[in-house]
Amino acid sequence: MANYPPRQRQQQPLPQHAIERIQNMRGPQGQRFFTSDFSVKEFLLVRESGFEPAGLVMGSSIYHVGMQGVARTQNIELTVLTQAMYHARELAMARMEEEAAALGADGIIGVRLNVKQHTWGESLLEFVVLGTAVYARDGQSQKWRAPSGRAFTSDLSGQDFWMLLKSGYRPVSLVMGNCVYHVAHQSLGQWFSSVGQNMEQPQFTQALYDARELAMERLQYEAQCDGAAGVVGAEIHERSHGWDSHVIEFFAVGTSVLPMQLTEAPPTPQLVMSVDS
Amino acid sequence: MAFTSDLSIDELLLVEEAGFEPIELVMGSTYTHIGWQWAPWSTNTEMTQISQLMIYARQTAMQRLVAHAAQLGADGVVGMRLDMHRSGHNTEFTAIGTAVRRRTGDGAKWRDRHGLPFTCDLSGVDFWALVRGGFRPVSLAHGVCVYHVAHQSLGQWFSSIGANMEQPQFTQALYDARELAMERMQAEAARSGGTGIVGVQVREGSHGWESHVIEFVAVGTAIVPIADATHEVHDAPELAIFAQD
Repeated sequence: MANYPPRQRQQQPLPQHAIERIQNMRGPQGQRFFTSDFSVKEFLLVRESGFEPAGLVMGSSIYHVGMQGVARTQNIELTVLTQAMYHARELAMARMEEEAAALGADGIIGVRLNVKQHTWGESLLEFVVLGTAVYARDGQSQKWRAPSGRAFTSDLSGQDFWMLLKSGYRPVSLVMGNCVYHVAHQSLGQWFSSVGQNMEQPQFTQALYDARELAMERLQYEAQCDGAAGVVGAEIHERSHGWDSHVIEFFAVGTSVLPMQLTEAPPTPQLVMSVDS
Repeated sequence: MAFTSDLSIDELLLVEEAGFEPIELVMGSTYTHIGWQWAPWSTNTEMTQISQLMIYARQTAMQRLVAHAAQLGADGVVGMRLDMHRSGHNTEFTAIGTAVRRRTGDGAKWRDRHGLPFTCDLSGVDFWALVRGGFRPVSLAHGVCVYHVAHQSLGQWFSSIGANMEQPQFTQALYDARELAMERMQAEAARSGGTGIVGVQVREGSHGWESHVIEFVAVGTAIVPIADATHEVHDAPELAIFAQD
């Protein structure tokens, strides 16, 4: 099992304007000013759940992702690239969490991770992560923070966050797993033998199946390390990030959750006829 | 009196439900020539003159829209959008939205601290939800940072071939540029008397400039709680299943 060691995020230094921006939001004498990328509905539902937005938080990392040599005809994980892509995301996440900690937040909602390529930098990938930090209005931070004592993180929208709490769960952390995989080039003989044939290509099935499983296994492992009971909203993305078309990254991301004591029964869903077309 | 607006039917319904009526589709625009600023080839730096120009151009377009709305006796503008189009050497900045007026005559309470109509990029539906939730929009706040990213020397480029590592100088530069755009937006919102911003979007674009020059724009609607004690606050949300195709 090729897993990572448990996460140990190091404190990351923040750029000067991030520090300024956060100081301005904390304001003098508890006078807070918040920014958030919440839509109006998200804003109202997050407040309804007993939280206030603390501020838009961000982290980024520009990473040089080189190439890893590999035999043309091999189906194999490119572990060096897997680790590079993972580490870059970790750096960006750690910086975002650092901003949230500076705001005194209890959690981050609506976290989005993006990978960008810029025309000015060959082999450079920019990892940007954005979300809105929130704090509990009643000041009971301990009830909401992750078992590690850090603010919770989650890629759920404000609406999903409200519904998750209503159904008796709370978010713990954004969990992720990835796997960069090299898909073998076929030899000419193999190619000829399959022309005009309709059949499964077991070597490809196996390879891609395996790669996805690896990404999901790592995601699951992270959730276990964080002491969570399960993962909701897991998604698997696949992208080539401008590499050779035989190299694919599978990236799994989701929110790990823990059950909590419910004070009232979950609401009964109402049937509504929408007049939207 | 007939009105014009780009509100959809449900938006119209909800804007009226919130106690407002649409007056007219209003617009403001400016043609600006964006000149060039020299930037040192191998330095990560903000291009301050261009940043200021981009801020100024958008502000001008918004001010003209607000002036037009004020002339019509509007108390606010909903669904405001900012756009830019390049045509030759000039760039056109436009702001467009629907001017609305309070029906119950207490419109002055909804205007900004200078007595001008409020502005927001919220749809009619979101505007209604915000008002029902006990908040009102103050102004559309925006912040800009135009940044020049250093070109790498050949030596630097060679030394990183095949390596997988973070490039701290680039990370720091672009991270800071985004933060700067957000900080400026925040300052603008605070100046207008808002206590928070919702719906922030951070966009980036090169606008056909050299690829090493990037503009970061942060836009969001500044809001304040409605102080009026008689204001009706929304009911608790319910879980609904939509019967929709």
